[in-house]
Amino acid sequence: MKIEILKEIIKKKSSDEQFAVLTNLSNGSSEIYKIGIPLSNNFINYKNDIENYYNLKKSGVINNTEILIQNYIKPIEVIIIGAVHITQYLIKFLKDLNFDVTVVDPREYFTTKQKFRNVKIINKWPEEFFKNIQTNSNTALITLSHDPKIDEPALKHALKKKFFYIGALGSKKTHNNRCKRLKDEGFNDKEIDSIHGPIGIKLGGKSAPEIALSIVAQLVSETNKYKNL
Amino acid sequence: MTQPFIDTILEEAISWIESDKQVVLATVVQTWGSSPFQIGSKMIIDEKGNFLGSVSGGCVETSVITECVELIKNKNSFKKIDFKVSDENAWSVGLACGGEMTVFIEQIN
Repeated sequence: MKIEILKEIIKKKSSDEQFAVLTNLSNGSSEIYKIGIPLSNNFINYKNDIENYYNLKKSGVINNTEILIQNYIKPIEVIIIGAVHITQYLIKFLKDLNFDVTVVDPREYFTTKQKFRNVKIINKWPEEFFKNIQTNSNTALITLSHDPKIDEPALKHALKKKFFYIGALGSKKTHNNRCKRLKDEGFNDKEIDSIHGPIGIKLGGKSAPEIALSIVAQLVSETNKYKNL
Repeated sequence: MTQPFIDTILEEAISWIESDKQVVLATVVQTWGSSPFQIGSKMIIDEKGNFLGSVSGGCVETSVITECVELIKNKNSFKKIDFKVSDENAWSVGLACGGEMTVFIEQIN
């Protein structure tokens, strides 16, 4: 591979847009592909297959050819509401798993730099925060403040935007009350049932890292379901 | 099956080249059976056999490193290597998972 292509890949990675690297395994040539960009003579004969793999975000050698396509996609964005103790452990797990993490908490005194290094911290109320960012079915929401004033506006936004994972911390009782309020606001049962509450899979742990692990386990399991669609 | 944006192995490759090392990039391009690593998993290797990253759970790394050092020595630009359980060489380096994989190695220049 030419060093110029390697540098181009690194540059493109910072743009957050999907692209692919094509390699012809029989002659070693490589190029960068994005939908709409014309293919060189090395790859033009495989145009349909390349587009197909690109749209499916699939990587691999195209059947019966020597053409390798590697898709680079934006990591899933996880928005955590509430800079609480569990959040610190969650961030560690999520980083290792290649998720992109943003923590939102309007309470500035909760988000000191010593506690939260190398992560985006936004000191805004969720309503205000969501006004300025793009969210979609590639976004996950984890609410941990268990203060309805902070959590619920975020939950409502996530339901409307069809986040692929929505989880809310709180006991069964807290969650039932939360569901009732959402129902009163006009959300239907199917939407409300899509919230994972109480959040996490059953691990039986009570400490902050154990709860973080149970949340991450659930998120990863949902992510894999979504990826394999 | 996709490359996470925050994987930094390619950035490392550039910094190796900038410190005057010769660098080969090894990429998993095909897998069959219970091979544990995803397509796109990467490792970089220099002319001395120093390496970073991984293409398997430690099973075929030694063999990949040897091939990469050879590639540099013979001034070749790329090679496709198949690892199979039935392959005596792969067995000796211990592809114990019962899987099969193809690794593509290419010099960066």
